[in-house]
Amino acid sequence: MKKIIISAFLLSFGLASCKESFLTVVPETALSSATFFSKEADFVQAVNAAYVPLRAIYNDRHWILAEMHSDNTYYARNILFGAVDGTENVADFAIPTASGVTANDNVLQHYRLDYQIIARTNQVLALIDKVDFNADSKNNLKGQALYLRAFAYFQLVQLFGKVPMHLTPVATREEAASPLATTEQLYAQIEKDALEASKLLFNKSKQEAGRVTSGTAKTLLANLYLIQKKWSNAEAVAKDVVTNDGYKLMPDYNDAFTTTTGNKNNAESVFEVQYMEGSAGYNGNFIYRIVPTPITAAELQPITGTSNPQSLSGENNNIPTPDVIAAYEAGDKRKDISIGYVTLSQSLRDNKVYPYIKKFARAHSLHNNTGQNIPVYRYSEVLLFLAEALNEQGKTAEAAPYLNQVRTRAGLAATTATSQADMREAIFKERRVELAFENKRWFDLVRTGRAKAVITAYGAKVKANPQDYYFPKGAVPPPNAFTVLDDYYGLPAVESALTPHF
Amino acid sequence: MQKKFILLQGRGNLCVGIIALLLLVATSSFAQNAIKGKVSAKDGESLVGVNVAIKGTTRGTNSDADGNYKLDVNSGATLVFSYIGYLTKEVVVGSQSTINVVLDVNDKTLNEIVVVGYGSQTKKEVTGAVQTITAKEIKDIPVSQITQKLQGQVAGVQINQTTGKPGQGMSVRIRGQLSVSAGSEPLYVVDGFPITGSIGAINPDEIEDISILKDASSTSLYGSRAANGVVLITTKRGKSGQTNVSFTSFVGIQKVPERGRIKMLNAEEFAQFKKEYYEDAGQAVPVEFQNPSQYRDKNNDWYGALLRTAPIQSYNLSLTSNKERVNTAVVAGYFQQDGVVLNNTYKRYSVRLNTDYSISDKVKIGFNLAPQYVFDNTPRTDGDRGTGILFNALHTWPIMPIYDANGDLTKFNQLPGSTGNIFAYPNWVRAANELVNETRNINVLTNAYLQYEPIKGLVLKSTFNAELLNSKFFFFNPSTATSAINVPIPTTAVSIRQSTDNLTWLNENLITYTKSVKDHNFEILGGFTNQRFRQESTRVQADTYADDRLPTIQGALNVNRGGTTNGVNEWALSSFLSRLTYNYKGKYLFTAAIRSDGSSRFGANNRWGTFPSASLGWLVSDEEFMKNFSKISFAKVRASYGVIGNNNIGNYTSYALVNNTVNGVFGNTVATGAVVTSLANPNLGWETTKQIDLGLDLGLINDRIQFVYDFYTKRTTNLLYSVQIAQEAGFTNFNDNIGEIKFWGHEFALTTRNTTGRLKWTTNANISFNRNKVVALADGIDRVYGTFHITQVGQPFGQFYGMQKIGLYKNAEDVKNSPIIPGRSAPGTIKFADLNGDGVITNGGDKDDRTIIGNPFPKFTYGITNNLQYGDWDFSIVGSGSQGNQLLVRHLYSTANLDGVFNLVEGVKYRWRSEANPGKGVFGTTVGGGNYTGIERDWMSSHFIQDASFFTIKNITLGYNINRPNKFFRSARVYASAQQVYVFTKYTGGPNPETSAQGDGNGDGGNLSQGIDLSNYPVPRTFTLGVNLNF
Repeated sequence: MKKIIISAFLLSFGLASCKESFLTVVPETALSSATFFSKEADFVQAVNAAYVPLRAIYNDRHWILAEMHSDNTYYARNILFGAVDGTENVADFAIPTASGVTANDNVLQHYRLDYQIIARTNQVLALIDKVDFNADSKNNLKGQALYLRAFAYFQLVQLFGKVPMHLTPVATREEAASPLATTEQLYAQIEKDALEASKLLFNKSKQEAGRVTSGTAKTLLANLYLIQKKWSNAEAVAKDVVTNDGYKLMPDYNDAFTTTTGNKNNAESVFEVQYMEGSAGYNGNFIYRIVPTPITAAELQPITGTSNPQSLSGENNNIPTPDVIAAYEAGDKRKDISIGYVTLSQSLRDNKVYPYIKKFARAHSLHNNTGQNIPVYRYSEVLLFLAEALNEQGKTAEAAPYLNQVRTRAGLAATTATSQADMREAIFKERRVELAFENKRWFDLVRTGRAKAVITAYGAKVKANPQDYYFPKGAVPPPNAFTVLDDYYGLPAVESALTPHF
Repeated sequence: MQKKFILLQGRGNLCVGIIALLLLVATSSFAQNAIKGKVSAKDGESLVGVNVAIKGTTRGTNSDADGNYKLDVNSGATLVFSYIGYLTKEVVVGSQSTINVVLDVNDKTLNEIVVVGYGSQTKKEVTGAVQTITAKEIKDIPVSQITQKLQGQVAGVQINQTTGKPGQGMSVRIRGQLSVSAGSEPLYVVDGFPITGSIGAINPDEIEDISILKDASSTSLYGSRAANGVVLITTKRGKSGQTNVSFTSFVGIQKVPERGRIKMLNAEEFAQFKKEYYEDAGQAVPVEFQNPSQYRDKNNDWYGALLRTAPIQSYNLSLTSNKERVNTAVVAGYFQQDGVVLNNTYKRYSVRLNTDYSISDKVKIGFNLAPQYVFDNTPRTDGDRGTGILFNALHTWPIMPIYDANGDLTKFNQLPGSTGNIFAYPNWVRAANELVNETRNINVLTNAYLQYEPIKGLVLKSTFNAELLNSKFFFFNPSTATSAINVPIPTTAVSIRQSTDNLTWLNENLITYTKSVKDHNFEILGGFTNQRFRQESTRVQADTYADDRLPTIQGALNVNRGGTTNGVNEWALSSFLSRLTYNYKGKYLFTAAIRSDGSSRFGANNRWGTFPSASLGWLVSDEEFMKNFSKISFAKVRASYGVIGNNNIGNYTSYALVNNTVNGVFGNTVATGAVVTSLANPNLGWETTKQIDLGLDLGLINDRIQFVYDFYTKRTTNLLYSVQIAQEAGFTNFNDNIGEIKFWGHEFALTTRNTTGRLKWTTNANISFNRNKVVALADGIDRVYGTFHITQVGQPFGQFYGMQKIGLYKNAEDVKNSPIIPGRSAPGTIKFADLNGDGVITNGGDKDDRTIIGNPFPKFTYGITNNLQYGDWDFSIVGSGSQGNQLLVRHLYSTANLDGVFNLVEGVKYRWRSEANPGKGVFGTTVGGGNYTGIERDWMSSHFIQDASFFTIKNITLGYNINRPNKFFRSARVYASAQQVYVFTKYTGGPNPETSAQGDGNGDGGNLSQGIDLSNYPVPRTFTLGVNLNF
């Protein structure tokens, strides 16, 4: 008997806990996707997160590929600092590209960030109709998701021409890589999404400040139609925005751009990427990426206004070229608002004065931490879209007033252009200065078919007078500079290795 | 007598006690006989240090240098003579006064008990590949961790000390086992309990012996945790009939030898380099470098400034007793090692209490309790430029002063930008001294068991084990110092507090039945077990302090939201296990075992894994026909096959998770954002390893030569891998079980007793050849690139990958006639091989010229130990080596940066400066800036790879034994020991060729990228004096 009792006692220990539930251990400190998308707040959060990659795109990458890859800004050599090849190559039009693929990191990171937006919005769009909640709110969320997806593809198609297209969330390894969609397929999808978004989204008056609106969606459509040369479609949506959406130009060009905390999402703002100063990680530091160096703390302080300026040495990105400086007409108020100058005592150049982009240099409190927003679309661009759409249809006189609204604010006289061709040039030139450093220039050159001619001429000037383009004495652009003038960037090599499709 | 007694009475109770004691001694001595005698071996050789004990008492002695002993014994008592390597002999004392004893050699050391998984066997019966090390063999090695003591001792096990940080950094690889992303460390089992904490924290003095299970048949009872091999640790128990009190201690000093340190430019040489840099570029020389000789006596050795000579000490007091029904062992230890880096201290207080009690002949209970407290403050020494102060100190310009004119430590150093100084360096000495980076661990290991033997041979046993860890981490960066570059002082003070609690419990219920029927011997084991682990942690980060003296949370102006977190980690494991051991006449041996593991870590569709094994052994030497081969005293052949797993795949890897801190900003308002961060895989499972082992054990000339050989081959499949997927999916990876790696190797171990006379000399030597090859990766993927590595089908794992350096371009002619990098090659720049012969040198892409440029795995590893004993003196020397492995010298990316941004290695003095002055052909021209120098610096190439073969004399010990008992002790031993005595190597990348950091410190981690020298904490040379006393 005693034997049995002890034996039974021993055996009972283990069997008591030997069941399947013992082996089910779920994560306690993270939500699981299986249960997450079940209520309105979940979709609000998912949409909010879809905006997040834009912060990195605009702060870190977009200006490299869309602005410094043009005749507006250049990459000034600081030979005290080792080269950052990838960025230098972009400015030099010397990105090694083979078989439509490049190893350039800026290209890779921009590509990946856009697909983060796409995956996040696909997740929302796939699941939102399965959950029942307030229709207005749902429409507004769907509209934002559609807009953001369209905008991400819009960036991709402008940069690459052809990219893989995903419209539903990926669930398995096999679904990860999709075939390349053609430019036309991408345009069609962007148009479809943006059009639907323009109908679902709240108008700016009703929308929470900082989110995209029906006006933003229409502006994207106008931009797309201009690229497609669908002039009348462009005219219609741009006019819709001008007539119905209540935007107006800020009286002072300087106020069109936000400070580190103020003036955000103002009357002129159609869409801007949102940042917030502080230690929580929502800040930008754009100005620190583009200020010329080596700069001492004392030289930097007037530009940033911080209490703890620190000296910087690094590469000199996005330095305005003599060409863009010369593009401003005499008396253009925008010139001094947009471009400032700083003398770098430690520069190895004979001329130690460097221009920098002043309209994005706003006083803030702490070094390397800014809260100012970066514009995506401003109302002045909508006006110029409309003027261009009209002029291209031969309605040159009708176009002039819209162009002149922009010129007047800049303190300039009305345009003298009367012929369609002159007006085309006037609008093209106006875009360059009005939207200088807002990442429009390269795409304008491409969509107007001027990229090769303009950059070839610009390259010749750089090579002829390197010191005008911020090279120290004796230094010259690399031999392969201005040799890669394709309209589109090569697709990222790292991704190429992960897909059978390119 | 009466008078004396009265006189003393006034002194009180203490004296009464003493007198009582004296009387007792006097009384007992009258009844005893003085016995003396000589202990010798069969060949007449006298045996020194033989333990002579009176059975059932605490009393005893040891034989002296001539083998003589003397002891007072009651008649009728039993004397027990025991001596390592000899059979124990008992003699009943009669009326004689001289007892000479001849001990028989225990040449069949094969009757030694070997601890195996869930039981023990005699060495003779073992059919798996198991190696046992007893604590005695490695007792004098003055280190903190048991794994350090094992270096060079075990065939097939590569043990590297990757960092010199006290209490840390041991890498143990059994049979070269590797996984892509699951862990590769073996499973450590302490007294039957697979622990989850660090083996490094266990006091080596608590350990009796260690069994290393290498093949699948010996490990398969550990199922899904066995693939990396299993290390069984048995802690001390009392020896039969004896009571022992002993005290051991060593004290010593540690120092980093000058030899092996990286040779950097001194201040004058650095200034000279900078001067030449500007001159060669045709630029004006900044004023700081115009006169290099001004720095002649003002060198600042930043690396050296962080090092010091530091003490090490260890004290252990232990009691073991095995009498009547109680077997007790108690070990109390204190260990302190101050690091050779400033402000580094490691202290361990430990106690272990092991008790077994036989309630009756059938019922036995036991308890083990081992609490310990470890304090560790380590400056952030290791890591690359972002984190490690040693790495950073190497880089810092030697013209930057450590001390200011007043003799105080400088705060931070920055020279004008015109000097090319783009990094403001903090004072690393301050960083070491002022930053707090301390961990306090309280760790308790405990077991209890109840064992019942209802009928002879049938044993039921239930054990409960628990392991508790409370770990408190505290980091404080005061406003006066920093360990980061470009941070001005005063900086923002930051504190981090992390508290982690782990609880692991395990219940095992086992039945064993042992039975012999004629010549058939069986043992059957069955059991089921449940184990669960839970970890809870809380981390609070705060910053901006009003006063550095009060780094509390409430003293901070800001609590960092992002750095304030809590975490939970949990897993559960249920298992069934069974084993059959059978032999016929003790010479035909068979074992079969199986374990079935259900794990919470596996995906919902794949919860249970089954791991079987079988092995055969044949004692050839027991066969009749072997009698003719008298030189062969022992021969056994072994063969085994088994399937084992690796479940270190992460606790929640199969789940898709949502991160709800990816927040948006609208206006100046933050809005919570949520993102699905991973893809679910409900089929996720363990990694499977199938292993075959063939072994031969041989004893020659009465086992004076013992030889063990093993060949193994194994295939690991279903490797856990976070397969990179096209990021157009919105995810970076998919966690899957993929691929196949093949491993194979040969292990040889040899023990010889070279001389056995008055001079006893034994040698242990082992050598292991481990190889691996990737057989398959995921479908459609035949290679995986790391920053510096490639893992490619058909090649060994994780090979260094990059450009093949062939020299420097000699002149313009050479550039013109050779393959070049367009726009970037110039006279004096680095020249790579154009492997695809297209005339253009290309790094990556379709026209890639990269190739495999090195192998982080050794061709073979080896160890050799010699022990000599002469009379009371003994001497041992332990060496350990590795041949044919290479390291990536990571610091060269900065310390050979020809732009002079950092301090440089000495070799840069002999760089290419002109066609007429081409230097030694190693380092290229500084002219032309990053477009030219950037190639040499940034393109991964053989420029950075060095052979890191080494042979290290790990330990030399000289000891003197006093075996004559006296009133203070029964036996004593004093010794002098030197650890990490000398490293023979041609490697110049750093002081420690054993190092092998994984990853580049920038997120490219894991086993795919081994063999990177990140200039970790150097391993010091240690000199100690030790004493072992037995009472």
